[in-house]
Amino acid sequence: MIKKSLLAAATASLALASAPGVAAADELVLGSFGGSFADNVTACYIEPFKAATGADVILKLGSSSQHAAAVRATAGQSDMDVVFADDAFAVQMANEGLLVQLDRSKLSNAPEIIDGAWGAEDAYVAAMLGATTIIYNKDTVTTPPTSWNDLFDPKYEGRVTIGDISGTTGWQFLAALNQMEGGTLDDITPGIEKVKPLVKSSVLLYSQADQVVALFERGEIDIAVWYPDRAGVAAKNGLPLAAAYPAEGAVGIRPTISIPKGTAQEDLAHKFIDTVLDADNQKCFSEVQFIGSVNKNVTLSDEVSAIVPTGEALDKMLFLDPNDMAKRLPEWTRRWQREVLR
Amino acid sequence: MKSLRTGALLLSPLLFVLLAAFVVPLLLLVPTSFQEYRPGEGIATDVWTLQNFVRIGADEFYREVVLRTIGLGIAVTLSCLLLGYPVAYLIVRGNPRWRLPLTLLVIFPLMLNLVVRSFGWIVLLTNRGVVNNLLIDIGLIDRPLRLMFNMTGLMIGLTHIYLPFMVLMLVAALQNVPRDVESAAATLGSSRFHIFRAVTLPLTAPGIISGSILVFVLTISALVTPRMLGGPTYQVMATLIYDEFMLLLDWPSGSALSFALAIATIFIIWISSRMTKRWAGLA
Repeated sequence: MIKKSLLAAATASLALASAPGVAAADELVLGSFGGSFADNVTACYIEPFKAATGADVILKLGSSSQHAAAVRATAGQSDMDVVFADDAFAVQMANEGLLVQLDRSKLSNAPEIIDGAWGAEDAYVAAMLGATTIIYNKDTVTTPPTSWNDLFDPKYEGRVTIGDISGTTGWQFLAALNQMEGGTLDDITPGIEKVKPLVKSSVLLYSQADQVVALFERGEIDIAVWYPDRAGVAAKNGLPLAAAYPAEGAVGIRPTISIPKGTAQEDLAHKFIDTVLDADNQKCFSEVQFIGSVNKNVTLSDEVSAIVPTGEALDKMLFLDPNDMAKRLPEWTRRWQREVLR
Repeated sequence: MKSLRTGALLLSPLLFVLLAAFVVPLLLLVPTSFQEYRPGEGIATDVWTLQNFVRIGADEFYREVVLRTIGLGIAVTLSCLLLGYPVAYLIVRGNPRWRLPLTLLVIFPLMLNLVVRSFGWIVLLTNRGVVNNLLIDIGLIDRPLRLMFNMTGLMIGLTHIYLPFMVLMLVAALQNVPRDVESAAATLGSSRFHIFRAVTLPLTAPGIISGSILVFVLTISALVTPRMLGGPTYQVMATLIYDEFMLLLDWPSGSALSFALAIATIFIIWISSRMTKRWAGLA
């Protein structure tokens, strides 16, 4: 008897180990970023999706690279049905053959989406447009910055923060500096040399976006390389923050949404992506997250338009080819660890 | 024969867990560590290379992290030993009424979550933290001391977190030292210091060995505390392995580093236990 139950327990634990988190038929597992992003995804995308389909959505929180690592680890039998990831990581997953090709015929909102949002062979679609740019405290910085070079002004020494290369702003800022200094994607040395003094004068190299909120709150910094969407949310909560778009061009961020191979619910996953691309839901998300929309039929309120890049700032925006970036990021990271941080 | 079978049966649940959850996954990493990672494409399964291992020794950055990790392990072990021995001695040989409160005091930090304890240290050690503010207020320093994102922060945090393990090991060892032996030495005219050095200390050697090995291994494999107190920039091997896997997605390099860490650990444990045994006259 004891032997039998032991055996049963062992079999059960083996079964659990070999089938990680198999979702029930009416459950969709969504890999999302955390913080206010997850709250807003729930309010603007998950709620309408639940109302329309009756399906339940389970959130799995993590960063782009963590999601990519999880999708690779469970290759072909992913525990996530839909996943958010920055485009460089979406490309990495697509190149490793881990993503399902999106079927535009199942996405009723596809015609309303801007062309630049789609990945090669429709492996993924950008769900929003963000940016890496300069955020400053309106109370202490009287003349709005106009160039990346303004960050190097001695008056900001010890009053500035930039992101570590592990975060999106980190490598995007490095790429922007490199371009400003005449480097190319294959020759990052000018950018590395340029960023060194700023890393030294930075209060800290943040690795999570919300660390910057605390720094602004405590008055430890006047200026930062950060996300306008996070700044918009913080400004709404009472911090005196504004976004400035440098003349050299801010860097565009395309957080994407995609379906990992092995999901048992491709149709439901497509329905979720369609919900995300819907004009009303896109507007809802853009308004609360202060982030640009990928749907042509969305018009944003003045409050949000003041923060997101528009007009000239949008024209000058630097968009890095995610395919190039996926190939080069490891090398950039290694050089950053070895040459900048030491 | 029967007792052997009973022994094997008693061992089997633990053995099963160790095999299934530790040895097998580790073996699965062996082929990965010899493969090549091509950024943007993935892990190339058709090429076999030693490069991942060669780099650990050849690359200055990796070498620095390896040496830093081992140095940190030794430093934390020594400070736990120096701080823990008097406490353990007091618990065992002090006033019996203090025994329970002291033991509780030692165990108490273990009841708190690791993340909470590490976060507590951030609050204390950060540039505008409790420690720096206090030192500035009483006029000892002008600018905040850098207590985080460096060796100091990691030493403080890890010593605090692993001290209980050392103390508990030493308490067990000290309790096993027969008072008669010490009395005998005293009768023969030994001073108290000499008794401690020549009798008590060698007799507690097994506790010192096991406590040190425990603290050392926990320290060099710690991930949460070094990441929180060291930030993204001050790397030890565990955080480096995490980054290779989760950030760079370079699993071959991460696997090779994991093996290097495991092998270094086993080697150091072997050497230190041999040395200590010889010193204690047990070999």
